[in-house]
Amino acid sequence: MKLPPVEYEAPTTVAKAIDLLAEHLDEASVLAGGQSLIPLLALRLARPAVLIDINGIDELSGVSATDGWVAIGAMTREYVAEESETVAEAVPLLAAALPLIGHEAIRSRGTIGGSLAHADPAAELPAVARALDAEFVVRGPSGERVIPAPQWFEGYLTTSRRPDELLLEVRFPAATGGTGVSFQEVARRHGDFAIVGLAASLVLSGGVISEARMAFAGLSDVPVRAAAAEDLLAGERPSTELFDEAARRATDDIDPPADLHGSSDYRKTVAAAMVRRGLRAAADNARERQ
Amino acid sequence: MAEIVAERYTGASIKRSEDPRILTGAGRYVDDIKLPGMLHAAFVRSPMAHAHVLSVDVSAARALPGVIAVLTGADLEAITVPGPDALMALMGWAGPTPEFTLLATDKVRFVGDPVAIVVAESRYIAEDGCELVEVEYDNLPPVVNAAFALDPSSPPLFANLGDNIARPHSRSEFGDVRSTFADADRIIDFHIDVHRHQNVPMEGRGCVASYDADHGVMTVYAATQSVHVSRIAVAMRLGIEPDQVRVLAGDIGGSFGLKIGASREELAAAAASRFSGRPVKWVEDRTENLSASGQAREESFDVRAAVSHDGDLLGLDVKMVVDTGSYPGMGAMVPAIMEAMLPGPYKLAALGFESTAAITNKASYVAYRGPWASETFVRERVLDLIAKDLGLDPVKIRLRNVAARTDPPAVMITGRPLVGVTSKESLDRVAQLVDFPAFRRRQAEARAQGRYLGIGVATFIEAAPGPRSPEGPSGPMGTESLRLRLEEDGVVALFTGQMPHGQSHQTTLAQIAADEFGVPFEQVRVVVGDSAVVPFGLTGGSRSATMAGGVALHGARQLKAKVLDFAAQLMEANAQDLLITDGNVWVRGDPASAIAVSEIARRAAAGPFGAGADAKLEVEATYDGGEGGWSGGTHCAIVEVDVETGIVKVERYIAVEDCGALINPAVVEGQIRGGIAQGIGAVLLERSAYGEDGSFQSATFMDYLMPTTCDVPRIEIEHLETVPLDADVNFRGVGEGGMIIAPPTVVNAIEDALAPFGVRIYEQHLPPARILELIAAADPGQ
Amino acid sequence: MADITLRVNGATCAGSPEARKTLADFLRDDLNLTGTHVGCEHGVCGACTVIVDGRAVRSCLMLAVQAAGSEVTTIEGLAPDGELGTLQQAMWDSHSFQCGFCTPGFVMQAAAFLSDHPDAGERQIREALSGNICRCTGYQSIIDGVLLAAERNRER
Repeated sequence: MKLPPVEYEAPTTVAKAIDLLAEHLDEASVLAGGQSLIPLLALRLARPAVLIDINGIDELSGVSATDGWVAIGAMTREYVAEESETVAEAVPLLAAALPLIGHEAIRSRGTIGGSLAHADPAAELPAVARALDAEFVVRGPSGERVIPAPQWFEGYLTTSRRPDELLLEVRFPAATGGTGVSFQEVARRHGDFAIVGLAASLVLSGGVISEARMAFAGLSDVPVRAAAAEDLLAGERPSTELFDEAARRATDDIDPPADLHGSSDYRKTVAAAMVRRGLRAAADNARERQ
Repeated sequence: MAEIVAERYTGASIKRSEDPRILTGAGRYVDDIKLPGMLHAAFVRSPMAHAHVLSVDVSAARALPGVIAVLTGADLEAITVPGPDALMALMGWAGPTPEFTLLATDKVRFVGDPVAIVVAESRYIAEDGCELVEVEYDNLPPVVNAAFALDPSSPPLFANLGDNIARPHSRSEFGDVRSTFADADRIIDFHIDVHRHQNVPMEGRGCVASYDADHGVMTVYAATQSVHVSRIAVAMRLGIEPDQVRVLAGDIGGSFGLKIGASREELAAAAASRFSGRPVKWVEDRTENLSASGQAREESFDVRAAVSHDGDLLGLDVKMVVDTGSYPGMGAMVPAIMEAMLPGPYKLAALGFESTAAITNKASYVAYRGPWASETFVRERVLDLIAKDLGLDPVKIRLRNVAARTDPPAVMITGRPLVGVTSKESLDRVAQLVDFPAFRRRQAEARAQGRYLGIGVATFIEAAPGPRSPEGPSGPMGTESLRLRLEEDGVVALFTGQMPHGQSHQTTLAQIAADEFGVPFEQVRVVVGDSAVVPFGLTGGSRSATMAGGVALHGARQLKAKVLDFAAQLMEANAQDLLITDGNVWVRGDPASAIAVSEIARRAAAGPFGAGADAKLEVEATYDGGEGGWSGGTHCAIVEVDVETGIVKVERYIAVEDCGALINPAVVEGQIRGGIAQGIGAVLLERSAYGEDGSFQSATFMDYLMPTTCDVPRIEIEHLETVPLDADVNFRGVGEGGMIIAPPTVVNAIEDALAPFGVRIYEQHLPPARILELIAAADPGQ
Repeated sequence: MADITLRVNGATCAGSPEARKTLADFLRDDLNLTGTHVGCEHGVCGACTVIVDGRAVRSCLMLAVQAAGSEVTTIEGLAPDGELGTLQQAMWDSHSFQCGFCTPGFVMQAAAFLSDHPDAGERQIREALSGNICRCTGYQSIIDGVLLAAERNRER
């Protein structure tokens, strides 16, 4: 399983990377952490003509907090985000999800931007980004734009990034007081992709849910926001009955895919269990964090 | 008369002599071999499950810079000799013999079937070259399961057979089947399926073949369980005199039955080396290993059990169908072993066994650690199912049915005596180690909280190597050979045909020889892996502890006697008065007389000596296994099943085992744990999956899931006081047992956990989705 | 082809690998450091684990050219003068391995993990090593080796 012949560029500035993208468009793949892309190349499932390696663009790494947002540079390694106190404090849902991504060696190289640009619907970060309404900052020859999460994830392994655009950073809203989070997933083994995963965040004030955010991994070709269930939860007090009802709402009209690891019905059943468990854990977490 | 040797090494967990190189990256595996001018091979493989090959155009591939040669199936036919599968020939197969070419010529028979070999300056370029080979296929209806294969309307995979039967239906009866079933209180019917899964060693198959045209010698650096079987396989297919083929093996990254003889790809690489005049390396990648190296265990069973109201298992009548995949191999031979082993340690009065082996468009059935293992799965599942039907405890029903240890021993209904079998003792010991009543209380409390714990027990025996046969040893595996030599530097060298690939023979055989001969462990060297130098042998079948351990023990004594005869002349003493301890030869009662063994050796090599002095300090020893014997044991697992997600965790696993005397306890325990891990993997994670169209769906580790550190619990192992059958050699094999007994142990536990739902399990593969299906389909009223 | 230099096991090395050549293949083929093993080539089995700039990585998921200017440690670099390190010795004492093919990956991953988490308990160690696959041992002996190494490190 050797990689096919490919040309290789290693720009050291964003401007140069964009020039290369504009030149090669669909014939180019951006190489960030490589933990998803290199296996595809080794299996000869991806055949780009050019690899644009952005590991040398230093300005793309970093975690910073401003104005109620946490900006994470696209090339920030997953392990760096995992060790970041800013992330732990201000984006606890991301902090909860990161240790579930693969294994340490994967997180040594894998990047926040790379995972989100790859957009595997069974991966943890897309569900987190979707749940939190993260924003994606891209830049192309015609300038910069900010893409909100619902518009970012277009389809299976497909985002709305244009071929001549580079993802610069991902912004996550900073968690407010009273937030509790959980990332639940059913995976065949520790570190595997989720068969079904749930990123959940609750804000409790005065014992009442003032905000609920939930997004699934593994139910569709993009992360799925459980909007109907979120509406149900808003303004209510946490209870087993409430969470059971939310689980029903969240899974009523989903039609998950079937594959080697689970049938459609199986995923639906597990999704409901994830909601029950995820909401309970998030509510507990909210109390702990207070 | 044998001297009593202080047992310093045998029985102790001596640190392995293999480890310093293994731990520092200095091991030498096939892919580490680099020869001058070496080329790399890759294979063009069929994307179709069943098709005619209309044309193969290699012109573009040949033109690619860096590609040195491309050989099609037809090209290879012209330069090789047709012949049978080496393992089948070794085991004396006399059944249907499909005719096929080394690489596909007119037909491809499974997804991954090799069609052409591309040889290039690097593996990268070889794969590039493969993409340029254009093959025209004409699709044929795929034979995707045994049922269709047995249907006369299925298109035959092999023209000379006319059907898809690898082994025709046959039936045997032992005891009075008709009466036993007629008179039984109850007859219970089951259908049980075991799924397809596979060996998956961490190192795939591979070799470096180097043909020396000047001398007509083919040298193959191989990963194999026997350098001699590989040598014969290469010689036969390449039409070379066997003594003109030399097979060398260094470190081997696991095999579990896969790497025996020479695969079609290895033979093609050897032919390519002769053709191109340069060494050719082929090492399979993981996709090849998963899709093309071969798979195992896809067997289905219709079982009738004749039982008494009190839980006596009186008789079994079993119909088996094995899906042997496409090309011939172990699959057709497995039913015979299963038939012989089905009674296990139980007092069965009658057994009916019939089987058919079907040919399908899948990768070939290969030997996988305990190839007959499904007989234990079927039997131990059936016992639990009977126990449930009759309301009996699973340990008690087994105790009721195991044969007591008698003298003379009870004889299996299929013929072999259960000499030295300690099944009852192992069941009793498990019941002591696991507080069943306490578990049942914990289970009830957990159930009240919506948590589902279960406990499962299973017992087994394996012929490791099996009891002495009244007809005496038979076949090339019936006798083990060993050459022992006292080297000039005082090292006791053992030349063995054993080919360790994780079994630690370089340590265990040295332990025995060191004890018997009287030198420190470090002064023994076990030489393996060179067909020019070692006698015939094969590592497999859980026999090396007895056979190789036994020949090492007796051979070391023989060498010692010879050395002492020579030393006696040198030291002007009587040989009977001489001892060897700690590497010194000395006269009993006179420590000052000690001469280092190395000095004896040096003088023997220096010569010259008078008539009557045998200064060649070497012996060729053989051993026929002596009394042989059984290994076996009882395993117990405690699991928790999450009934919302189907995820199963193995919380606790206990193995009570009897493998006779232990040469090296750490080695024994490692073998047991590794086998158990494979069994857990088989039940919870591993499946070689084919689609309805014959496409292969588990060709990467993303889909073929291997058990990890988080899937295998700490395994508690208890060794039983064993029954010695021989004055000296009571080591018995343990390599395959864990893998044989773990699947039914775990499945029994899962069924116990799901008992409140009325679940009954008739299959071995239980991924989370399947667990939920079983719960949904079950009837809690049962 | 790009000319690269990097430091491997403390020595400066140079090469001109094709861009598509993985770091694993470069180490094995170009630098003759065959201790790093290739088990799957798609980043799942961990046999190819090496340490790059202080972090354990899967060398089959890095291009050789990406390691230009980096510090790489392979299994051969752990006992350069032939004397086994604490982890290797503990694994030897614990009978950690059988066929040895997975060993370099486990040793490198465990070494990296222990240096960051010297007081890790069994559960953490199991999770940390859950991305390394062994087919022979059932893992217990490997975990025991790591635990023993951690204990011996604490005693020093």
